[in-house]
Amino acid sequence: MNPRPFTRRGLLAGAAAAPVAALAACNGVQGGADAAEDDFPTRAIDFTVPFDAGGSSDLLSRAVCLAAEEPLGQSIALANKPGANGAVGLKELVSGDADGYTLALAVKSLFAITPLVVDDPDAVAIDDFRIIATLTNEAYVLVVHADSPYQSLEDLVAAPSLNYGTAGVGTGGQLSLALLFGLAGTEATDVPFDGGAPAVTALLGQEIDVVSGSLAETMPQIEAGALRPLTVFSEERNVFLQDAPTATEAGYPVVVDQRRMVVAPSEVSDTVAGALVLAFEEARQDPDYQAFLQDNYMDVWEVDDVEARAHLSEAAELYAQNVADVGLALGDGS
Amino acid sequence: MDLSPVLTGFSVVFEPQNLLFCLLGVTIGMLIGVLPGLGPAATIAILLPITYNLEPVAAVIMLAGIFYGAQYGGTITSVLLKLPGEASTVVTAIDGHQLAKRGEAGSALGVAAIASFIGGTASIILLSLVAPALAGVALAFGPAEYTVLALIGIFLVGTLGSGSLIKSAAAAGAGLLLATVGLDPLLGTPRFTFGTDQLADGIDFVIVAMGLFGVGEILYNLEHRDRPQAAVPAFGRAIPSRVQWLRSRLAILRGSVVGFVLGILPGGGATMSSLVAYAVEKRSAKDPSRFGKGAIEGVAGPEAANNAAATSSFIPLLTLGIPANATMAVLFGALMLQGITPGPALMTEHPDVFWGVVNSMYLGNLLLLALSIPLIGVFVRMLKIRPGILAPITIVITMLGVYSIRNNAFDMVLAVALGLVGYAMRKLGFEPGPFVLAFVLGSLLEGSFRRSMRIFGGDVTEFVQRPLSATLVGVLVLTVVIIPVLRVVRARQVVRAAEPAEP
Repeated sequence: MNPRPFTRRGLLAGAAAAPVAALAACNGVQGGADAAEDDFPTRAIDFTVPFDAGGSSDLLSRAVCLAAEEPLGQSIALANKPGANGAVGLKELVSGDADGYTLALAVKSLFAITPLVVDDPDAVAIDDFRIIATLTNEAYVLVVHADSPYQSLEDLVAAPSLNYGTAGVGTGGQLSLALLFGLAGTEATDVPFDGGAPAVTALLGQEIDVVSGSLAETMPQIEAGALRPLTVFSEERNVFLQDAPTATEAGYPVVVDQRRMVVAPSEVSDTVAGALVLAFEEARQDPDYQAFLQDNYMDVWEVDDVEARAHLSEAAELYAQNVADVGLALGDGS
Repeated sequence: MDLSPVLTGFSVVFEPQNLLFCLLGVTIGMLIGVLPGLGPAATIAILLPITYNLEPVAAVIMLAGIFYGAQYGGTITSVLLKLPGEASTVVTAIDGHQLAKRGEAGSALGVAAIASFIGGTASIILLSLVAPALAGVALAFGPAEYTVLALIGIFLVGTLGSGSLIKSAAAAGAGLLLATVGLDPLLGTPRFTFGTDQLADGIDFVIVAMGLFGVGEILYNLEHRDRPQAAVPAFGRAIPSRVQWLRSRLAILRGSVVGFVLGILPGGGATMSSLVAYAVEKRSAKDPSRFGKGAIEGVAGPEAANNAAATSSFIPLLTLGIPANATMAVLFGALMLQGITPGPALMTEHPDVFWGVVNSMYLGNLLLLALSIPLIGVFVRMLKIRPGILAPITIVITMLGVYSIRNNAFDMVLAVALGLVGYAMRKLGFEPGPFVLAFVLGSLLEGSFRRSMRIFGGDVTEFVQRPLSATLVGVLVLTVVIIPVLRVVRARQVVRAAEPAEP
């Protein structure tokens, strides 16, 4: 632990919450590091959302932090620091102090898909983090326009040629469709958009034939009858879309999902991490948080650090293997 | 149509709490609009936690007020300091700042405020009448249409300013090149990122605008600080003169229509609308050479357009659930946090939210007009502040604004670097306007063009086979080729006709 009371970060935080930070600094001087850890947290916690405001990661972070403030007994200050699918914000988290006062949201795709697309020797890896709380498991659903001739996955993969829209390079939507059409041998052209909303817009305008997107992006249109779901790329059928078969059921073993979690730098002490884990466990039970998940069609994923870590590394290996088997080149980095 | 939900919307607006949040929203919006670089998207994101405990309608009324209020405020710094905080006010800065230099800052801002009010209000009326029908317009625009639209925009950039066409084209070309920085939108290949993921998502517009206009201009003025400042004669009144009003009124009407229509398009609508409105005014003016030197129509048209577009950009959000820009994306988030899903079902499931928000905009625009007129008198006094004091304050606020976009210090370094570029451009007589507008339209053009080509299977002729894109191609050919050629031919005829008369 860092015994120096006046780190640069501490001073910066002090500018935002001067009285609290000053108290925390005094504690550090008088009681030493261990005492300070026992009553963690003694000041506000900074939470980095490494994505733009308004997106799924942002909304989820806001909901879970709001619920975690009470069990922590401190406020949580959110800041968006977007860039490179979360890499910019998470790199900063890793390079900062590991005192538990800095947390961030992380997404599975950064660890499991981005390495297949972007060749970054300095990329953050899951070992750089301690997983404080796993939050959600969000399915990708394959949708076509309501007026589309394709009624089932069989119809779709039998099409002579297709254009499929995705939320961008290195997204789960892109991976799921590339694998599906690769396995089925369908001649399909990938049209990456600048985010999920423009891809759904293009599908509504019938510019493209098919989109694989998150439920949050597609469900309002599915419910309005504008889009038709044909399959979901999860292991089991989705709770929000019981009628849509999984791709595996239809004979194409493609399992791609997005999962989100709260992380701290890996060097954070066990005492501090324990306090955070307990607080977020309680936050996940909060009725408002659970209503938020329901409203946003997010399924829960609530496992411990070890299991989450295992899942992420298995998924990374599986995707790399899948991509190699089908002979795909996602983007340019692979 | 059934008017009762509309009227219920009015009763929602006039609940005291909602009135208060409307006033609060537009006031905050106007203030952050005035501060260069601080944008509505960042402000709304910061204020989101405050809205958790509000009624959904009150929360959205306030956040929407921040958005369109910022459009009013942004004009003030564009005109007074030539510092546009939004892509849609870059055009206003050109003639508006010239007017300010001539001592007509007051009336320029007065016209801008009135134009904004009329543009905004006309757009709300149109929105209320035809929003559901127009939702389809947003869908009719696919990658092909955006490609042609962006091309038209880039050519229109050439009509900006009064300097040399070649220099404008060179600046626009540099802007297009800068737009390629970041990961390739279709392949993910890093381009000019120098191995850092700070540049992976490209450069934000605000950084470019604050660097080139803000930092660049201040550096340039520093060099001239020993020279006696040309005294600003008078600030003029906030109420425009009769001549100015006569010149502006048609510009305002045309701008309102252009803004409303283009604002519906998610992606680039507001920027395009201000550009198109400016071009329309310049083309239809009896003496186009006044433009770039302080033509009041060059303020009135684009201001009406960008406010009309700000209002109509709510249409795709409220009727389809598609956020048209970064601010709309944050508003989308605010609604989701309130348990309301913006989308096709919003109007039927939450008519109080839909009509409450829409109708609050009438009131908001009225409040903004009422706030603007007296505040203009205060703001124009900024011009009286010595540059030695104003410049450092501007830099600090600009840097705060740049930082607030991604909470990232790297962006401030980037803004300073672009400031040096802006200084060099200014020294060599290049205008920053074409640079930043081409920068904005460049990524739209590249992404849309390459998406179109993938959808078309590489067949370029499809651009003229689709009715809508073919129409736009027609407009492009007409404005870029046919009209200029005709003009040259006519000029030659005039010269020839004049020749025999000479001895």
